[in-house]
Amino acid sequence: MSALTTKVLKITPEKCTGCLRCELACSYMQTGTFQPAKSVIRVSPFEGHTSYAPYTCTQCAEGWCMTACPVGAITINAAGAKDVLDDTCVGCKLCTIACPYGTMFYDPDTRKAFKCNLCGGDPACAEACPTAAITYEDVPTVDWLGDFAAERSRRVLASAGAA
Amino acid sequence: MATRHLIIGGGTAGMNAIRTIREEERERSDIALVSAEKPYSRMVLPYYLDRSIAESRVYTATAKVLADWGVKTYLGRRAVGLDTKANACALDDGTRVEYDDCLIATGSSAVRARVPGADGRGVHSFWTLDEARGVLREITPGSHVVMVGAGFISFTILNSILALGATLTIVEIAPQILPRMVDATGAGLVQQWLERHGVTVRAGATVTSIDDVAARGGKSKKRLSFKQGKDLVCDVVVMATGIKTNLDWLKDSGLRINAGIVVDEHLRSNVPNVYAAGDVAAGRDLISGAEAVHAIEPTAQEHGRIVGSNMAGRDVRYRGSLIINIVEVCHLDVASFGAWDDARAASITGLKADRPAYRKLLFSGDRLTGAIILGPSSDIWTTNDVGMLKGLVQSGVRLGAYRQHLERNPFDVKTAFIGSKTTAQLLPETVLGRPSKAPGDTPVAV
Repeated sequence: MSALTTKVLKITPEKCTGCLRCELACSYMQTGTFQPAKSVIRVSPFEGHTSYAPYTCTQCAEGWCMTACPVGAITINAAGAKDVLDDTCVGCKLCTIACPYGTMFYDPDTRKAFKCNLCGGDPACAEACPTAAITYEDVPTVDWLGDFAAERSRRVLASAGAA
Repeated sequence: MATRHLIIGGGTAGMNAIRTIREEERERSDIALVSAEKPYSRMVLPYYLDRSIAESRVYTATAKVLADWGVKTYLGRRAVGLDTKANACALDDGTRVEYDDCLIATGSSAVRARVPGADGRGVHSFWTLDEARGVLREITPGSHVVMVGAGFISFTILNSILALGATLTIVEIAPQILPRMVDATGAGLVQQWLERHGVTVRAGATVTSIDDVAARGGKSKKRLSFKQGKDLVCDVVVMATGIKTNLDWLKDSGLRINAGIVVDEHLRSNVPNVYAAGDVAAGRDLISGAEAVHAIEPTAQEHGRIVGSNMAGRDVRYRGSLIINIVEVCHLDVASFGAWDDARAASITGLKADRPAYRKLLFSGDRLTGAIILGPSSDIWTTNDVGMLKGLVQSGVRLGAYRQHLERNPFDVKTAFIGSKTTAQLLPETVLGRPSKAPGDTPVAV
């Protein structure tokens, strides 16, 4: 099988300033309103809010959300992203518990699951990021945040050890 | 001659097996499906019950889809015997279906508590589509519904019953509600939450009989009597007192059966061309490695895909299944994973009773082996942590110093998940050893 040349959201956490523009852009694109609470990319603080990094769906090969869905409501869109079909989703939440990355969301207002669909191939978060911490590139997906988070939580862990 | 695959049971395991065979095979095989019911998803029945979806939407594969997939169907037929020497399955109408390999995925049925009146008028199970229709017909706004059994099944239809305008009482024989899903602390929080939302809960209550009561002017009511405490009078009784695997028809098959059909890592039984999947299969538990029956949707799905792959000629081993359950009641999420009830495991708990939010994390060394999480469904924090806890349990990642971090703050799962590089461990993981295909991408008959 030939490798799928699908672009992914590449995260360079060292460049993130914690401005939250990605969350605003994401929620605006996904829901039509500026509400970070509905964003499917989430900026996490590290080291007592001195470092930040955006975290979102990796569009993993298994697609745990997609294979778990009992009604086939999660499919793969033209951008190669796993995407929820609103009309088919019944809101059973199985995807939220099947996704081992914690990147499925559920909207209690619409009673539907939702997730990053790469905005169909033109991700608003990457467009909005002023420091290129989020870029949309044709590269393999890796654990973008692991090393950064491990390094930036060392002091928190040290104080835990002392407690 | 093309290989003849026989799939017995049209539930989640069977349908996933069929789809995967079509995805994987190099040469078109013959597939036959025996199913007592038209294939539908049990998971969506609660949404049919509250009328948010039409009955037409519960079906997982219509006649057209099955025809497109080139499946020969025996619908409305039950398998009554398996001759593993002759490679043939007998159906209830006398038909004999021969196979080269076969999947047993006959699932479970609801069982009712053995009390006088349990089979009477106005007493329902909620398991099959037919039973769902029965419950739907009976509940009208203002009905008083009593649910006997406060387990997962009851809780999946709790919102629906309230949405139909009924008042609800739940009775449970165990001292706590959700006894096979959360611990006593979690159950207490859920019970308080339900009571705040107008649901009456009676735990530790043993029903002794269910009788008809003549009502003044019209429809008769039901009376439930208990070992202790007052009788309950209501309009509709829903019995959700457990399930039983459908294995009786295999008594003389020569298959090795414990709590389910014993299967190896390829999900083969002791008869090499007979596979089992879903509720009827006793396979490997991911956490303990022990033989276990996991009668849950995700296990049926993974089992079905593994079997389909192997039937199509691939060699796919299964790592084992993980117990995962989630239910939302009155906008409170309740979920548990893995060995959440392992009394010997070291555990950490975090509680914010007023919200309410509750976490219980269970460890073997610095690996997470089980978890309970409970919190309002509007709380994004809870939803994200649900997935991450599953990822930590599923990957068995070594948490190192993050274990102590979680001890200090069991609510800060995200830092532990990301910092322990769980993503790197999870990314290469796939059930079938290849990227999954979208549900609509199954090759059709030519």
